[in-house]
Amino acid sequence: MTPTMIPTLANTDIASYLLILILIGGAISFAVINLGASYLLGPRRQGQTKGITYESGMNPVGTARKRFNVRFYLIAMVFLVFDIEIIFLYPWAVTFSNVDHTMTDALTWLGRILFFILTTIVAYVYGMRKGVFKFD
Amino acid sequence: MIEKIHALWPEITLFAAACVVMVVGLSRNVQVRRLCVPVCFIALVAAGVLAWFTTPMSAAAMAHLPQYGKTLAAFVGALLLLLLVGTPDREYEDDVARGRAAFEPIRGTRGEFYAFYLFSITGLMLCAGADDLIWLFLALELTSLPTYIMVAISTGRNRSMEAGVKYFFLGALGAATFLFGFALIYGATGSTKYTAIAEALQAQYQAGPLNAIAVAGVVLAVLGIGFKIAAVPMHFYTADVYQGASAPVSAMLAFVPKAAGFFALLGLLSCVGWFRATEPNTSLPEPIHEVLWFMAVLTMTVGNVLAVMQNSVKRILAYSSIAHSGYMLVGLIAGPGLQKDSFTHNGLAAVLFYLLVYGVSNIGAFAVLACLERRGRDGQMEEADDIADLRGLCSRRPLLGWIMVISSLGLLGLPPLLGFWGKMPLFTAGVSSGDYLLVVILGLNSAIAAFYYLRLVGVTLLEAPDAPGRGVPVQPGPFPTRVLAGVASVAGIIMLSFIPLTNQAQRAGIYNRDPIIKRSAEPAQPAVPKPEV
Repeated sequence: MTPTMIPTLANTDIASYLLILILIGGAISFAVINLGASYLLGPRRQGQTKGITYESGMNPVGTARKRFNVRFYLIAMVFLVFDIEIIFLYPWAVTFSNVDHTMTDALTWLGRILFFILTTIVAYVYGMRKGVFKFD
Repeated sequence: MIEKIHALWPEITLFAAACVVMVVGLSRNVQVRRLCVPVCFIALVAAGVLAWFTTPMSAAAMAHLPQYGKTLAAFVGALLLLLLVGTPDREYEDDVARGRAAFEPIRGTRGEFYAFYLFSITGLMLCAGADDLIWLFLALELTSLPTYIMVAISTGRNRSMEAGVKYFFLGALGAATFLFGFALIYGATGSTKYTAIAEALQAQYQAGPLNAIAVAGVVLAVLGIGFKIAAVPMHFYTADVYQGASAPVSAMLAFVPKAAGFFALLGLLSCVGWFRATEPNTSLPEPIHEVLWFMAVLTMTVGNVLAVMQNSVKRILAYSSIAHSGYMLVGLIAGPGLQKDSFTHNGLAAVLFYLLVYGVSNIGAFAVLACLERRGRDGQMEEADDIADLRGLCSRRPLLGWIMVISSLGLLGLPPLLGFWGKMPLFTAGVSSGDYLLVVILGLNSAIAAFYYLRLVGVTLLEAPDAPGRGVPVQPGPFPTRVLAGVASVAGIIMLSFIPLTNQAQRAGIYNRDPIIKRSAEPAQPAVPKPEV
C-alpha cells in the first residue's frame, strides 16, 4: 500500500495536546490539594454542636428519614424523556426546513426523526401501563 | 446512510420485540405476562435467521465478521433465554399466584428484565457490525447498560443491588477509559471510521514509528474494553458481581459483554493491523503488542490461580471466565497469520470459534446452579452456590450431576469434547505466530485450570451425598426450561455438532489486509501539512 495522505482533521502534534495534559493535571491536583489541605489544615473537633446538620444555621426539626412518594421520581423520569425529545426535535426542526426536498435523502431525514418519535411513544405507552400517570 | 439499514434487520427485529415485551410484561393478566418469553424467543430466532443472510461488509477488514457475530449472538442468546426464564419477580409472582398480593405493574420487573435482555443482545449484534468508533461506543454501552440493571433486579436480595452498583460504577470507569482512548485515536488519525483509521495508521507506520497519540489511544481503548471482557487489570468486579447476581444472569454476563468486548477488540486491532518489521512473523506494532501480551498472561494466570482458591461455585466460574478471556487474548495477539485459508493458523478465527465454544459450555455449568436451590438463612429460597451443595449430585440428581460433570470437562478442554476443539486452534495459531513463550504459559494455565474443574467433577461425581439431616438440603428448582438449556449445552459439548462451524469462524476470521513490511531504508514521509483549526 502506498502512503496515503493523512486526513487534515488529524492532529498528531503532541504539543497541541498540552492543554489536555494541563487539564488532567489540574483535575488531579484539585482533588489531591483539597483533600490534602483539609486533612492537614482542618481542625478536628467533635461534639454535639459540630454534629448537627447545619452547624451554624437553623436547628433541624424532626427527622430527615421521612418517606415520600416514589411517584416523584417517576414523574421526573417521564419529564426527562420528553425533555430530551424536545432537545433533539428543536434543532432537527430548524435544519429540516433547509433540506432540499428533491434530494434523495430527504425522506431519510424525516424517517430518522419519525423513528426517534416512535421510541418516545413506546416510552410513553410503557409509562402509562406502568401507572406513572395515575394519581390517587 | 440508508444502505446501513439493510444490514440492520436483525437488530431492528430485536428492538421491536423489546418494545413489545416491555409493554406486554406489565399486563395485569398473568397469561399475557407469560407471553414475554415466547416473544423474546421468536424474536431471537428470527434475528438469527436474518443475521445468517446479512450481506458481508466488503469494505471492512473482516468482511464476514458481522454475519458470524450476529448469528452467534442470536444462537447463544436463545440458549441463555431458556436459562433466564423465571428469574424476574420470582417471589412476587409466587405471592400473586397464591392470592397473597394483587399484581401492580409498578412493582413488577418482568417486562423490563426481558426487554433489557433483548436490548443487550441488540448491542452485541451492533458491536459485531460496527464500522465506526462512535457506533462502537454506543453499541458497547447498549450491551452493558441493561446488564447493570439486570444484575440488580435478578434477585430480591441486597447482594444483587450491591453487585449492580459495583458493576455500574466500574463499568462507567471502563467506558470513560475507552472513550478517552477513542478520542485520542480520533485525534491521531482524523476520523472515526475504521477504514480511514486503518489507512492513516498504516501510512504512519510506513513512514516511521506510530504516533504516540495513536498508540496511547489504542492502549487506553484496549484497557477500557478489558472491562467488558473481564481482563486484568479491569477484572476486579467479576467475582463479586457474578456471585451477587442470580446464576442465569451470571451466565449471561459471562457471554454477552465478553463477546461484545472481543468484537470491539477485533474491530480496533484490525484497524491497527498485524504487521511488524521483522519477517516472517506478523504481529501488532510494538507497544500495543506488549500491552496485550502482558494483559493476556496476567489475565490467564490471575483468573486460574484465584479460581483454585474459591469455595463458591459462582466465584470459581467467575474467575474461570477471566481465565478464558486470557486464552482468547492469545488468539488476538497471534493475529490472522500469513496463510489466509488456514483455520489452524488464524488466531482471529480461533477467537471467534472459542467465543461459541465458551458460550455454549458455560451455559451448562450455570444451568446446574440455576436449577438447584436451598433454603437460605433468612428462610427464602436461594440458589445453590457453595461447592458442598454439589456433593454427590450425580447420585442424587443424575441429570443435573452429569450436566455439571460434562460442562466442567468441556470448559477444561478435555480432548474428545468441544472445549478441546476450541482451545486447540488458539495453541496452533500461537505456535505459528512464533510466540512460544505465550503458548507455554497458555499450556501451564490449562493445567492449573484442570485443578478446579476436576474438583467440581470430583465433588459432583465421586463424593457421596450428605447423609439426610446434615447440611442444608438442596432441591431442584421449578423451571424445566433451565434443565433444557443445560441439556442443550451438554449436547453441544458432546456431539461436536459445532465442528462444521469452524468453516464459518474461519471465513469470519479472514483478515483482508496484507501485512505491511516496514521499509526502514526509505526516508521518512514528508512533513504532514499542519491542520487548520
